[in-house]
Amino acid sequence: MKITKQARRDAKQLFRSCLVNGLLDENRVRQVVQQVIAQKPRGYLAILSHFQRLVRLDVARRTAGIESAIQLPENLRTGVQTNLARRYGPGLNVSFAQNPDLIGGLRVQVGSDVYDGSIRARLAALAEGF
Amino acid sequence: MSNLLQEIEAQIAGVKTSVTKQNVGAVREIGDGVAKIEGLTDAMLNEMLDFGNGVTGLALNLEETEVGAIILGDYTSVKEGQEVRTTGRLLQVPVGKGLLGRVVNTLGQPVDGKGPVKNETSYPVEKIAPGIIRRRSVSQPVQTGIMAIDAMIPIGRGQRELIIGDRSTGKTTIGIDTIISNARLNKAAEAAGDKEYRPLYSIYVGVGQKQSNIARVINVLEEAGAMPYTIVVVASASDSATNQYLAPFAGCAMGEWFMDNGMDALIIFDDLSKHAVAYRQVSLVLKRPSGREAYPGDVFYLHSRLLERSARLNEKYGNGSLTALPIIETQLGDVSAYIPTNVISITDGQIYLETDLFYQGVRPAISVGLSVSRVGSAAQIKAMKQVAGRIKLDLAQFRELAAFAQFGSDLDAATQAKIERGKRIVEVFKQPQYNPISVEAQAAILWTAQNGYFDDVAVEKIKDCQNKLTEYLTTRKSALMAKLAKEKALSDALTAELKAAVTEFKQTYK
Ligand SMILES: Nc1ncnc2c1ncn2[C@@H]1O[C@H](COP(=O)(O)OP(=O)(O)OP(=O)(O)O)[C@@H](O)[C@H]1O
Ligand SMILES: [Mg+2]
Repeated sequence: MKITKQARRDAKQLFRSCLVNGLLDENRVRQVVQQVIAQKPRGYLAILSHFQRLVRLDVARRTAGIESAIQLPENLRTGVQTNLARRYGPGLNVSFAQNPDLIGGLRVQVGSDVYDGSIRARLAALAEGF
Repeated sequence: MSNLLQEIEAQIAGVKTSVTKQNVGAVREIGDGVAKIEGLTDAMLNEMLDFGNGVTGLALNLEETEVGAIILGDYTSVKEGQEVRTTGRLLQVPVGKGLLGRVVNTLGQPVDGKGPVKNETSYPVEKIAPGIIRRRSVSQPVQTGIMAIDAMIPIGRGQRELIIGDRSTGKTTIGIDTIISNARLNKAAEAAGDKEYRPLYSIYVGVGQKQSNIARVINVLEEAGAMPYTIVVVASASDSATNQYLAPFAGCAMGEWFMDNGMDALIIFDDLSKHAVAYRQVSLVLKRPSGREAYPGDVFYLHSRLLERSARLNEKYGNGSLTALPIIETQLGDVSAYIPTNVISITDGQIYLETDLFYQGVRPAISVGLSVSRVGSAAQIKAMKQVAGRIKLDLAQFRELAAFAQFGSDLDAATQAKIERGKRIVEVFKQPQYNPISVEAQAAILWTAQNGYFDDVAVEKIKDCQNKLTEYLTTRKSALMAKLAKEKALSDALTAELKAAVTEFKQTYK
């Protein structure tokens, strides 16, 4: 689907109206989608698909994925969480996952920033060094 | 000093075990050598992006939600959803003397099968041109070995002189001749142990040319023994548009290394019309808005930032120079098209080649009336100025009179004499390709022509007479020529000696 400049602009405006103190408000997002579908303005599908993209990117920006080889103990989890909150501000969705492929260590991804301290990454770096 | 810093850096990196931050993104769309990447919030303009498996890209479009990158090399292995990371580095190419004699691609990788390139340093391909403080005006000549150019459109070191003309009018040949001429001068100075002579290294950048054309150029350079002083950068027609777009910048970085290190270099961009087309292609697949002739709006900036990088640095900054000879191909002699006018306005003059002249047998087919060099005359040696000062005007007058004489037959004697002299000067300026003439021989020949010693030779025998005179002067009067080359001016004593030599020659010439 071709997303026109106007649709992009409209979507951006809608997206801005969903921000409360710089954070995305889920209820507002839902409302916006319902309203747009109800009113069907010109090119609403394009507007909605770009809007969805903006929301998806924002959610990704505010999501921290923490992978570890083994289940992390509770104190370590809270430690990582507070550290991340200090660096990226409040409103971060933190999810923990287990990934034995890492062999050991942690891999943290927040938006497009990656902190890879896993043994797998170090082995890969070592392999590249040769 | 920089080595020391690098060493320390490497040692620190070796003991560092802490985790470093990386910025990653995912390929959303890939096609035509362009990837749209989501994420990569920290990407810089013109930064290299790592696609894994040795594939790199260049971030060219930074947009709100995505980054548009062109892929260098093979993009068929890049898949949608693939992870991409920033590297924090700008695109770099190897530079240095190790590249002389080599044929490399846009990334500075050898394509001549002579093993890896030996280089210690790398330069970013995009660099800010030297500012006013670091520059000085042009004052040393580039001897092209082509008499018409050295006499009437002189080029100085640090100048940008455009070579413009239709297809197949001898544009490339002028560039190659200049490389050969300077290689010979370098070699002669080396053999004579002349420490004062500043060698001129050459870089030939072939953009969008047929492989066969480039092979021909390399062959000619090899046969003429010019390769040891030359770097050839190729991005042929079969290379991706990305590589063609970057090749002149890569070549320029290699030239800048010579300039920064107090040496002189010459770069030939063959040709910038094809370069503009490659850039248009890159811009269109990046979905940048297009303007006149579908070129993107910044095509002027593309060429001006490239050509601004050639300069003559002042003594405080090493006294180096980079001379640029960009080539532009016109369509049916139309110099008012978009790209030709752009490049004409950027350069310090142009050498205009005409199809009509070429087919009349006037080769090199330089149109004297339309060609200028705005700064080069300051660099011309004195002897040349003495003999060639009025020649451009004479030739222009001759053209006018010759056109006029077609209509009437009875002309006064003075006009007749002017036309006869003009015909002989045109003849003198004809020169076969790959056959540079030394500047002292040029001065002697032009002196002979200017002083009427060719007037009694039939027009069709002028070339023969000129060749024999050159041979006579270089073999029998080599002392005189050496003196002329050394003094670089025609003093009264030298003029008398030259006059005697030419008179002597004329007596034997039949
Ligand atoms: N001074 C010269 N004397 C004789 N022949 C010449 C001379 N200069 C060029 N030629 C011939 O003219 C032809 C075209 O020359 P060249 O390839 O340099 O032109 P070009 O303008 O670069 O062409 P293209 O448009 O293909 O790039 C060649 O075959 C070359 O041998
Ligand atoms: Mg050519």
